[in-house]
Amino acid sequence: MVDQPLWEQIGSSFVQHYYHLFDSDRSQLGTIYIDESCLTWEGQQFQGKKAIVGKLISLPFPKIVHSITVQDHQPTPDCNILSMVVGQLKVDDDPVMGFHQSFLLKNINSAWVCTNDMFRLAIHNFG
Amino acid sequence: MACAKEIWQTIGEGFVQEYYHQFDTTSRTTLGDLYSADACLTWEGAVFAGKKDISEKLASLPFKTIKHIITGQDFQPTLDSCIFIMVFGQLKVDDEQPMAFHQVFMLKSQPGTWVCTNDMFRLGIHNLSV
Repeated sequence: MVDQPLWEQIGSSFVQHYYHLFDSDRSQLGTIYIDESCLTWEGQQFQGKKAIVGKLISLPFPKIVHSITVQDHQPTPDCNILSMVVGQLKVDDDPVMGFHQSFLLKNINSAWVCTNDMFRLAIHNFG
Repeated sequence: MACAKEIWQTIGEGFVQEYYHQFDTTSRTTLGDLYSADACLTWEGAVFAGKKDISEKLASLPFKTIKHIITGQDFQPTLDSCIFIMVFGQLKVDDEQPMAFHQVFMLKSQPGTWVCTNDMFRLGIHNLSV
């Protein structure tokens, strides 16, 4: 068994936890952000845990399922973890859509939190 | 009334413009200068560590011509005073069909310049339902 680098273990645990919360109960997502966090959601900026969770809770669908296709993780020089996720999501009865999302994770008081988050739907056809 | 652009957006846009300009119009042998010595690139899932390896990977990509068309780019400052960037768009290699791509960069300030410490590139691999 090949050992996964620590940043990959932390990154992939975070990603699993994030989408589990997103798909089951978005109101719980506040636990992963801090007051200094920043979200860019389809080009719109949201600053701070309260505004971010407010945006995510207000997304106009009761049901969503994310399916992760690939994820990449890297350590940064400031000992943070950078993660990029590519996947598909299905909202209610709408057709499946591609998405990509990037996170920056920081260790604060022994917990990994998300300080930066950028989400975009994939809007170009492949091939 | 025009809003003043945030400084991180200005710096980020400048980097993105320079990066893709070099990528598309040169032999990519000087792209390495945009990275820090210990930078990390993940290119379609393969990891390259350090400016030298990154430079060699980018210079060795097997196409004659490439053109990136940027659809959108997002910028954020980080708590460690870095700049976090996500770019998405399409690229066209040689005579092939255009393909979607997205790329993430992390920029860090060094004396007199900003360098890329982290870079992740992926082709867009899902069809968009029509």
